[in-house]
Amino acid sequence: MSRPSALKRKQPDSSSPSESLTEHEKIVYSVIRSKQDMGIWTRDMKKEANLPDNLVGKSIKSLQAKNLIKEVVNVQSKGRKHYMAAEFEPSKELTGGDWYSNGTLDKYYISCVKDGFAKIIYQLKVATLEGISDEVKKSGIFKTSFTKQQIEEILRVLVLDKRVTEVKSTGMGEFGSFPVGKVCYKSTSKGGSKREPKVGAMASIPCGVCPRISQCTPDGIISPRTCVYFTKWLDF
Amino acid sequence: MTLTQYGIKYAVHIITSNFGNLVAKVCEILLRRGHLSLKQLIGFTELTPQQVKNSLLILIQHNCVQPFSFDQSEGPKVTQYIALFDNIIHRGRFAKFLAVVSQELDTDRELILKDLLENGRLTLKQIIEGAESSKSQGDSADKDSVQESFLKLVNAHFVERCPAPEPVLGQATKQEGPAKKRGAKSAKMVEVPETIEQRVIAAAAPPEAIRFSIMIDSEADAPGGKSDNMSVGEKRKHATLEFDAEFESSDEVVLWRANFEEFIRCLRHKACVENVRARLDDEAAVVLRAMLKATRTAEKKVKTENSVPLSLNTIYEEVINSEAGRSLTMGRVRDSLSGLCDSSQERDVDEDESYSADLKKILELAQDDEVELIVLKRYGKDAYTMFRILSLAGRPIETDKISDMSQLSLVEKNETPKILYNLWKDDYLHMERLVVTGARQSQFLVWRVDKPIIWKHVLDEMFHTALNLSLRLACEEERFKEITDLPAHKLLGEMAKQWQLYRNVILVLQASLLKLDDALMLFHDF
Repeated sequence: MSRPSALKRKQPDSSSPSESLTEHEKIVYSVIRSKQDMGIWTRDMKKEANLPDNLVGKSIKSLQAKNLIKEVVNVQSKGRKHYMAAEFEPSKELTGGDWYSNGTLDKYYISCVKDGFAKIIYQLKVATLEGISDEVKKSGIFKTSFTKQQIEEILRVLVLDKRVTEVKSTGMGEFGSFPVGKVCYKSTSKGGSKREPKVGAMASIPCGVCPRISQCTPDGIISPRTCVYFTKWLDF
Repeated sequence: MTLTQYGIKYAVHIITSNFGNLVAKVCEILLRRGHLSLKQLIGFTELTPQQVKNSLLILIQHNCVQPFSFDQSEGPKVTQYIALFDNIIHRGRFAKFLAVVSQELDTDRELILKDLLENGRLTLKQIIEGAESSKSQGDSADKDSVQESFLKLVNAHFVERCPAPEPVLGQATKQEGPAKKRGAKSAKMVEVPETIEQRVIAAAAPPEAIRFSIMIDSEADAPGGKSDNMSVGEKRKHATLEFDAEFESSDEVVLWRANFEEFIRCLRHKACVENVRARLDDEAAVVLRAMLKATRTAEKKVKTENSVPLSLNTIYEEVINSEAGRSLTMGRVRDSLSGLCDSSQERDVDEDESYSADLKKILELAQDDEVELIVLKRYGKDAYTMFRILSLAGRPIETDKISDMSQLSLVEKNETPKILYNLWKDDYLHMERLVVTGARQSQFLVWRVDKPIIWKHVLDEMFHTALNLSLRLACEEERFKEITDLPAHKLLGEMAKQWQLYRNVILVLQASLLKLDDALMLFHDF
């Protein structure tokens, strides 16, 4: 740090650092800063700053050394270098959202969260979104807290995985404590564990998954009489 | 549901293997062109009048064709012939029908039914003779026991009186003119609420009271007579007739046949129960089975959306009467019911608490499963996830939104467009391009699961697969003919191995065809 510490104390705000910058650095910095939490790709930056490449490169290095900007990962295009002013946190578009860490989908974390929620729903038998949210908080199994949107996402994926079903309360039996029509979630299997999908009638026959079925005719070049998939299937 | 290309091909294949090429030709023309007169049929098939007549007789005898005529004020009455697609497809299901009877009643009735299924239509006298001759080798079958079995079959609605030989179809209620009515092709293209085929079946069906009545009315059942002209009052007079007298007097003219509708209803109920068992639990399955069993005869049509409403007390009684439900408590039955009933239905709990199972929903979920499993196997896990997202949403969704929605299912973001494109290319998704003109013109792609179109496409592929399986089955039987023609004692060494191979191949093909047929019923008949 080249700046005297006294000066820093006097002007703690973000406008201060730019004073010690060169003219070029100032231009580059203002371009980056204007993009806020979206950051900017180096090539776009060069265009907007309208400076020679080598000057832009130098300015970036120096700004980075002064901790005024930082390099961020963009999940959309990991190969491109993105920069952002230091005081911003990368937007969801860049990071990929809550489920990403360092630009990659945090698969382990996601599966832990899914399993945890499935278990809680199984224990609750039938529950609403709010009920599940409260129970997750109470259980303390996760250090982080979830937003409503995140919980909705988790519930949706559990429904997609067929570990949980979404049902509307009928107001009777196990739904007795919920008003009629209220969306509830219910475990589909014991322990809320993953279920093996059943075997479909079509899916278990070669034709059901045949990429050539539209070209297959009884007397054509592709025909059930000579079909190689059939032959393989019936080879005992 | 309209006929699909491969539906027709499969039906023609069934007729060809059952009755030969000539009959199949007549049947195919009827399936493709709708209803035709004898003259038109001769013209289209280019067969001799005698050949066409004989073919029609066979098809009518086996309930695959129904003659009818239009109610015309002027000009002579022209008999029209229409193929009954469903009845043709049912020909591949006789083993299932027999199994239903042996489960519901017992093996003794099976024999009569087998005879009826093989012969299409029979008089009571023929049925008795048939049963006597087939039993002559073993235990003695006396006439009384056959009659009793027959009565039971009729009472259970598994056997019915044949429909009117030539019902007259009234003028169509739609705006379509008489000229257009003749062209059944056009009628099949557009989704009309009731097809001519359905109207003919409805017109030919004997009234409910007579359909399962053993009492015989000699005038009404004379050949060519129209039993539907008879009033209920007239029928009651004959109800006093002695049962034995009927057997000897006019029974030759009353034709009986297997009632496919009732078999399909039983199989539909069974499918519902099994699906509930897989989706919910055994208890819910037991409760549903008891409900359906108690109300089977009260159902108005096969494809009924909700089961006939029953009070909780009645349901509970039915449940504890069944062996599997004996240990259930009222509370558990009520819990199961909450999962079976349509939640959107307004329920007045104070009033007589009555419940009706949402059968339509149960079957729809089973259909969804079948299609999703095809997608899973053919296009992989990620495609399956996206297909489910769109199917559950039931509305069009934009590409990026689908990416976001599938990230928790661990689908890589840049894979989304490729996967969606693959599904769209094979008609499993519907896609629309939206152009938004604003400060910057931008284009979005939205995707949707269009169930009616996709389901029809899947049904056609199923018929195609059924045809393929039957063709391959015939082909394999031909290939192993040498082995199967050999007497058992010559099956040694290599021959024995070949025999075993033949057995395995045939078993796999037959089992697959049976299972596929269950899926076909799920999409077409239920």
